Amino acid sequence: MNSKTNLRTTVTLITLIAVISIGLKLKPIINNYDDFNPDKVYKVNYAYFFKSEDKGTYVKTFIPKDNLRQRISEGNIEVDSTLHFRKREENNQNVRAIWNTTSRNTYHSVNYKFTFEGKDRSYIIPKTFIKVSDAYKEYLEPTLNIQSGDTSISKLAKELVQKAKNDKEVIKNIYDYVSAIPSAPIITLTDALTTIKQNKASCNGKSRLFVALSRNLGYPARIKGGIIAKNSNKRTSHVWAEVLINETWIPFDTLNGHFAYLPSNYLEIYQGDEFLITHTPGIQFDYTYQIKEINHIAFLKMNSEEIRALSGISLWGLVEGGIMPKSSLNLLLLLPLGGLLVAFLRNVVGVKTFGIFLPVLIAFSLLHIGYLSGVILFVGLILLVGLISYPFDKIGLLYTPKLVVSLTIMVGLIIIAAIIGLKYNITWLTTLTFFPTIILTIAAERFSRSTIEDGYKMAIDKLFQTLLATTICFGLLSWKALPSILIIFPEIILLIITSSILLGRYIGIRWVEFYRFKPLFN
Amino acid sequence: MKRYVRIKKNLKTMLSKILKIKPHKNSNVIGLNERNIKLIYPNNAKKHYPLADDKVLTKEILHQYDIPCAETYAVIEYNSDIKKAWEACKKYKAMAIKPANGCGGGGIKIIKKDVEGNWRSSGKIITERQIFQHMAATIMGFFSLGSHDRVLVEECIEPHPFFHKIYPQGVPDFRIITLNHIPLMGMLRMPTDRSDGKANLHQNGVGIGVDLDKGTLTEVYDGKNYFDHHPDNEFIVKDIPIPYWKEILEISIETAKVFPLDYLGIDIVIDKNKGPQIMEINVRPGLGIQLVNKQGLKKAIEEKTNK
Repeated sequence: MNSKTNLRTTVTLITLIAVISIGLKLKPIINNYDDFNPDKVYKVNYAYFFKSEDKGTYVKTFIPKDNLRQRISEGNIEVDSTLHFRKREENNQNVRAIWNTTSRNTYHSVNYKFTFEGKDRSYIIPKTFIKVSDAYKEYLEPTLNIQSGDTSISKLAKELVQKAKNDKEVIKNIYDYVSAIPSAPIITLTDALTTIKQNKASCNGKSRLFVALSRNLGYPARIKGGIIAKNSNKRTSHVWAEVLINETWIPFDTLNGHFAYLPSNYLEIYQGDEFLITHTPGIQFDYTYQIKEINHIAFLKMNSEEIRALSGISLWGLVEGGIMPKSSLNLLLLLPLGGLLVAFLRNVVGVKTFGIFLPVLIAFSLLHIGYLSGVILFVGLILLVGLISYPFDKIGLLYTPKLVVSLTIMVGLIIIAAIIGLKYNITWLTTLTFFPTIILTIAAERFSRSTIEDGYKMAIDKLFQTLLATTICFGLLSWKALPSILIIFPEIILLIITSSILLGRYIGIRWVEFYRFKPLFN
Repeated sequence: MKRYVRIKKNLKTMLSKILKIKPHKNSNVIGLNERNIKLIYPNNAKKHYPLADDKVLTKEILHQYDIPCAETYAVIEYNSDIKKAWEACKKYKAMAIKPANGCGGGGIKIIKKDVEGNWRSSGKIITERQIFQHMAATIMGFFSLGSHDRVLVEECIEPHPFFHKIYPQGVPDFRIITLNHIPLMGMLRMPTDRSDGKANLHQNGVGIGVDLDKGTLTEVYDGKNYFDHHPDNEFIVKDIPIPYWKEILEISIETAKVFPLDYLGIDIVIDKNKGPQIMEINVRPGLGIQLVNKQGLKKAIEEKTNK
């Protein structure tokens, strides 16, 4: 009895401490709640270096704006005193930044810094599109480099439209055709016609051809320009295409294979077939884009220093110091929470699973390969291993060597699938290799052990119950804010321990037992 | 953030609910959680589990206290001993060969000598070589998930004719649950046409409830429904007195006393000639017995321990 009271006191005490510690941090965090929830945050710096000539010298560029999937916070603009800086909104909604100087033959440097917070976005395309109004007429006209009225463009467009049943399929055909053109690192300007002729192009040629074909078929389209943010210094910018579908500009990147989708690190800067940088002809000019990815907590409008200044403990130091890769830290923090969930499912609900952390680990790998294909692959492989080991059961092999045989066959299958997938370009087959083999191995062992201990029927039943637990874990883990919450409130770990202790003393009937013992309850 | 706070609050109230709610309306049934925490953990020390899990160890104790059980013909620990042990055993007409640590009834072979002197197992002729192979596989751990094991060769039990009226095939056994040496509940497990000779409930066998005080059978339960007869036979089992019932209770209590395990499931068969025999004991007896007897274990504990 005494030890029970002690346990209760300890549990209450730990819970109290954890709750108080969380409570202290709660107010500043609620005040700083940010509903934008960016996936990635980068510090970007346009670094220009140039020498002015005899006459007035200018350097112009475009600067990005906020939209539904990106947020720009301006930092400081460092210029020397002889440079004049101004911003101007142009009539096609682009914002131009202009640096002017009248000083002659002097070296100038410009650092235009801002923070870019981005999230990915995918769009759903309707089968048929609403007819466009005349307001978008300019997006249907041919231009010098987008020769949408040319006969060879018309001929190609006609071919692409032939097999299509609706507007969506037309766009898909254009996309597939342009995507299939081999990409080449061509720096010079490639127009739409040259792209067809050369049958190879970089982003600008492909995008122009895509836009030209769309315009030819009456879909308003335009070039979109920006930078693919990466944690490095780079000089290349990027262009892709946008098609106006039911009043929304929908992105298509035929170089990197994004259909109606823009990844979180795409910084959108301008629209239209423009050059990102223009300057007085003939001057010495050099530039780099200095980009640094910064750690962030998605739902917080706080910067690193502010998060560090929060009272009480947090794991932000670990994230900031880069001691541990963020993904491993996430796994580490989510594992106990997932474990608690599985413990709940097992002891309170009564779901039978292979192992306690296995459903959590499987759910983790599903985050990477996608739920549906992951589950199909997982169940397929495990059942296959079970089937393969059946004849060996009949022969009468010892348990451990038999297991090695089935696992080796499984590894063989994974490799064969990957080769076939690679050869015939079947993506879902190649993802097999990304399925963490260790997790599969453990799951397969548990399954085949269960076939011996409980028989095939029970083992399959258990496999599906494991899958159910995995699905629930997957639901929990795919809540993106969760790792961040655990980083800010590591006290939750303590709460997990106390909840598990309480769960460990739970003597109530499991939910499935209500069903099992139903006759006794009436 | 607000959502998070709400979720946490919900979690808390849910947890406190789980912890405070004493299942009042169904307080009689014991679930797996309660069985583990209230019955198994405090009564059965983990270090004594092998006494029940290893059939050889179980029988050593039973023999030591002269509690009736199948006669042990041989215990084989090493491959090199197989031949020697066989020489000692082959004079018997029938025997059961079992792995000491088998799971789910796997690896058990009943062999019998036919009129021509051939050994037969489930009707088919089995050569001595095959018998040796089976024993060697058992020792290598084929039926105990890879760990070294021992072979137990023992007397073959002939079921008492009493059972033939109810169902004529297989070996039925009684399961008696004891807590602190007091029998709480009992059932008779019988094979069916669909159970392949096995008497386990989850392998399509049936359970028949037992009235411990009267020593009679009650109803037949097949996992779904209750009947007054075996599903493959017409004979009405209700209120049929069980032969040797007094002895069955006596040897159950005796067995419970000699093992340092205070919550047990004791399996007993009735041999045609020798009467009740202990087959094996179980430290984690299943809870299905509550369904068979239409009674919760909690109620049984209340009734039996307050007497």
